[in-house]
Amino acid sequence: MIDILPGIQTTASALQAERIRADVISQNLANALTTRGADGKLYQRQQVRFESLLVNDPQGGNPVREVQVTIIPDERPARWAPDPANPGRMIEIPDINVHEEMVDLIVSQRTYEANLAAAKAARSMAIQTLSIGKRS
Amino acid sequence: MNPISGLGSFAGMNPAQMMELRSMGLQDLAGGSAISPKQLEALTSVVDSGAAPGVTGDFSNLLGQIVREVQAKQANAGAATAGLLSGQGVPLHQAVLASEEASVAFQLMVEVRNKLLEAYQELMRMQV
Repeated sequence: MIDILPGIQTTASALQAERIRADVISQNLANALTTRGADGKLYQRQQVRFESLLVNDPQGGNPVREVQVTIIPDERPARWAPDPANPGRMIEIPDINVHEEMVDLIVSQRTYEANLAAAKAARSMAIQTLSIGKRS
Repeated sequence: MNPISGLGSFAGMNPAQMMELRSMGLQDLAGGSAISPKQLEALTSVVDSGAAPGVTGDFSNLLGQIVREVQAKQANAGAATAGLLSGQGVPLHQAVLASEEASVAFQLMVEVRNKLLEAYQELMRMQV
């Protein structure tokens, strides 16, 4: 295959990674007050771990480092909160801080934007290189 | 040596060198050592028919390969877009990146073709 856009493979993996991160953050936000999941247990906050993955070009080009995402549970203990249905009693709720999740979401969004900028730069580099050959 | 690959060294070249470059490109395309009207005709057929089957020569093979690669990229982009729109779980960015890649590859192919035609027309205008 012609490698026409520089670094596009890495950028694509980074965009995918940020999508997964945004998914996980949305999931945490949505389940911030979930006391019981489908398995009958309390919802456990999830987080992502980014790892760099070396991918070799089958045609012997430069090896590129892509991003690989793993979703891992956050082991922080549950919080105790007053049970709205039974005054005076306490129930366990997940220890999810909405503000923290929102900050993570902003970081994820900005990182996505940065990677989009890299993709745009790659495209405009290719187009500008092609314009060398133009006469007028 | 082909007419396109010499492009980078055009800057700071005198006319005699340019002519030499041109004739080298011509020899390469026609596959001979001297330029004869017959070979000029052969060159014309190579340029006109592009990557048509039956035409031998490294450059026409290369051109055919580029066309095939561009076609593969277009097919890839089409499949990604179809996968996205039919809800098969293709992410949005992948479809967009695939179609951008196909578009840039297509522009590259068009530029190569333009350059080739330009070189051919330059040759045809040459006073013998």
